[in-house]
Parts: sequence; structure tokens; C-alpha cells
Amino acid sequence: MGLELLEGSTAIARSAIAAGCGFFAGYPMSPFTGLLESMSRELPAAGGVCLNAESEIEGVNMTLGAAAAGARAATGSCGQGIALMQEAIAEAALNETPFVVFNMARNQQDYFQATRGGGWGDYRTITLAPKDVPEAVEHTQLLFHLADKHRAPVMLYGDPLLAQTRVGVSIEPRDFGSLPPKDWVLDGTGGGTGHSRQVWTWAMGKATDPGPGPDRHWRSIAAKFDAIAAAEARHEQAYVEGAETVVVSFGSAAKFVEHVVDELRAEGHRIGWFRPVTLWPFPGAALTAATRGARQVLVFELNAGQMLDDVRIHAADRDAVRFIGGVSISESGLAYGELMDAPVIRTRILEGVA
Amino acid sequence: MEREVIVTGVGGQGIQLLAKTLALAATREGRHAMLSADYGGEMRGGPSKASVVIGDAPLRALPVLPSAWSAIVAHHRFSEGVLERVRPGGPVIANVPLVDPAALRADLVVHPVDAAALAKEAGAPQAVGFVLLGAYVAITGLVPQESLVAAMEELLPPYRRQHAPANARALAAGASLTTAVAHGS
Repeated sequence: MGLELLEGSTAIARSAIAAGCGFFAGYPMSPFTGLLESMSRELPAAGGVCLNAESEIEGVNMTLGAAAAGARAATGSCGQGIALMQEAIAEAALNETPFVVFNMARNQQDYFQATRGGGWGDYRTITLAPKDVPEAVEHTQLLFHLADKHRAPVMLYGDPLLAQTRVGVSIEPRDFGSLPPKDWVLDGTGGGTGHSRQVWTWAMGKATDPGPGPDRHWRSIAAKFDAIAAAEARHEQAYVEGAETVVVSFGSAAKFVEHVVDELRAEGHRIGWFRPVTLWPFPGAALTAATRGARQVLVFELNAGQMLDDVRIHAADRDAVRFIGGVSISESGLAYGELMDAPVIRTRILEGVA
Repeated sequence: MEREVIVTGVGGQGIQLLAKTLALAATREGRHAMLSADYGGEMRGGPSKASVVIGDAPLRALPVLPSAWSAIVAHHRFSEGVLERVRPGGPVIANVPLVDPAALRADLVVHPVDAAALAKEAGAPQAVGFVLLGAYVAITGLVPQESLVAAMEELLPPYRRQHAPANARALAAGASLTTAVAHGS
């Protein structure tokens, strides 16, 4: 298949449709708006339903409803909009309803929001952070698979560069293997049929058919997230063997860091890089191994230091961890500031090495 | 090999359309392209920048280019930081007289193009950006002129179809100019 020049938002929308997404609801908020526009243009033509909801809260709950009825469903927003969605994401995590949240964030300041969750209860959100548009296309399809595999809401952590950069891409459906049957979906039959089902956070069941109840249910949810943490962590790394310095970064920033590290390697520096591909589960064991022997573990992220916590938890020597990132926002508030630039990152890394 | 071009000017000069046309033409030629845009909310007069990267394999270039092979300078305003990033020896299209070629770095190969005059002569006064693009492609040979014309036509919304012939004349007018000035002489 040939390449098409697509804006990141459109590429993600088409990839979601290729993955079988049949329902999308959201509320406009830049830089997520492009994805909603693309979906509204393309999803109905593919036989799906796209709704511009009255608010983020409505959008995510519509998505939860469509997913409970068995559709591959997605929503999205950024920043404050994702904050509004957290209650529904927590409910879906605890009542085991799978859908995808496209968090087209304005910057990297929502790492905590994505990985810690702002909802309630013992849950986590599988979060993938692609470094560029081609990887976002792949992650989009993987996320629908992971959501169904684990019956859980999952998140793509994007940003303005991913949403707005136009790249020649080829979008084809990808096969990630077989999935369990959706034998739990609601089929529209109500009381009296004897076959009605419940999707409920407390899992107490019906009077005639009691469920496990909250204690047993929430223990099993916690065990499920432990199993996901053990099975789904993904990372990439290069040159960490024998490196004196390892730079850790995620998302778009990691692509810039890779570029700078390549330059510095060519100049003789013993430096490598490590990138969590899944922000949760954080690839902690891999980071421990990658930083063993490193004199400096530099953390570059465009926020005040959020992933920094995870790096400190998992670095082989936490005293080697230094923060070289920072808050950097354009005047519009809708794009990165001057820190998302290879020459600036190079200076920060060299200062961190010194 | 990856070839990068940075385009800089002010809102209203057709910077974004020019860059999109080049990226689309390369894509239609079966090549890999990336287009990054950077512009303010203003309609006219504010900074407008874009960069295009073209290559024969999946691109490694960053969406914010640390350096570029070439540039199109449509206006001197806001161009300083951009031009610092062009690598020595790189071809630069300078839109004269808005841009003074003598004021540009001495290690660049500058091609002056009076795009406004050429656009007017071609009966396409609004198509300054396409004159600059036609000249850029004639000098660099990055994509065939025919595919530029096809990409321009593809990008025109239906209500602007009537401008296609004038835009094509603007592209051709730019392409007719391929003389480089030896800089600093």
C-alpha cells in the first residue's frame, strides 16, 4: 500500500477505524480537536458512529456504554478534559469495560494524570506513549487489542507534535493475536428474560443471581492489574551496555533525545538512552538493568519532574538520577516551548554529564 | 538521504500552502515526507513557518529541525533564527526585494527571486508562494514540476478551483529562474 500524507490526528483516526473502532464520542479541545474532526468525517462513512458530546463527561460515559454493548469504542481529550473523564475511567477499570482514551495532551505535564489516575479504587491505566506519528498509528491498534485482552480502559499519550505533524504513512489493519470472546457484553435484554446481565463496579449481582461482591471483586481486579504490570511493560533502549550516562525520556521528547545521543556517541561520549514505551506499566526491571553501572541517569521530560519519580524508584542507583527537563510551553499554551529542540537538549545533557 | 527545507515568512504569503504542496508532491512520487507547521493565530502579518523533509526511506528527521539543507525566505521578518539553522552551502531562495540577499549569511548559496513581480506578470498576483516554490524545485530538483502542479490542484478546495491555471503559471514563472548569485562578490 502506498504512503499517504496525513496529519497525525487523521492517521490515528484511520488507524482506529482499521482496528474496528465503531464508536467515538468526545468534546473539542485543542490539540485533541483534530482527532474528533477526523473521526466525525471518517467514522460514519466506515459504518460507525461519531458523536460530538455536550461535555467530556458525557463523551466518556457514552463510550463506556457503547463498549458495554460490545463495540470497540474510544473517546479522547486533553488536560482538563481528561481530568473530567477520570471518574468514568475508574468506573470502567473497576467494572471491566474496555475502551481507548486518546489523550492528545498539550505537553508532557500530564504524566501523573495518565499513570496514577485521578479516579478512585485500585486500578491503573495501560498507557502507551508513541514517539512519532508512525508509531502512534501502530499503538492505536495495539491499544484496542490490549483493552479487549484485559477488559480495561487504556490510554494513548499524545501531544501537539503527534497531533499536527503531517507524515507519509501507510495504514493497514494489524493482527495482534486472538482475544477472549466478549461473553460479558450487554445484549439489550432487560428484566424478565432471565438472561439479563450486569456490568457493575461493585459486582454485587442481582437478587436472583448474586455476584462476588466488592471484596472478592476488587481483589480480583487488583490481581489483574498486577498481572498486567508483569506482562505488558514495553521499552526501547540503545547503547546502554557500558554507558556512563543513560538518558531517560518518553513520547516525542524521546525522539529528540535519541537524535542527540546519536550525535554524542559519534563524538565519543559513552552515553545511551532508555524509553518507556508503556508509561504504565512502567518498565522498571528493564530500567534497573539498563542503568546498572551508569554514573548518571539523566531524566529529560517537559514538565517539573513526573516520570522522574518512576525513574528514581527503578534506577539501579537512585543517587545517580538527575533531572534535566523542565516546564516549557509556547505563548499560546497549546504547543511546546523552546526546550523541545535538539540543540537545547544537547546542552542540557552535556551539563548533566559534566 | 533526507533533504530538509525550512520555509519562513509572514501570514498571508502562502507559506503553509507552499510547504503542503511540496510535501504532497513528494508523497505522490512515492517518497517519504514530513511537514511541520508553526504559525500563530493571526491571519496576516504574524510569523509563519513550516518545514518539509523528503527522503527515500522512513524518515529519521525531528519535527523541529535542528538544522536544514535549504530554505525559502519569503520575508525578512522572523527569519533570523530560522536561517541560523541552514547548513553551510545550502541553497536559499530569497524573496527580493522584501529580503536583502546581501544581508544573508555569506556561506549560503542565495537565489534571489522577485516573486511579487513574477506573480503579477503571470497574472497570478496572489500566488507569490507558488513562484517561490517553483523556483525552489527548479533549483533543487527535489520533485518534478508536473507533480507540484498536480499537488497544487489536489489541495485547492472546490470553491477555489478557478485559481488552478493562475497558480500553475506562477509555479512555471518561478521555475524559469534558476540563476544563482555568487554570494559576497
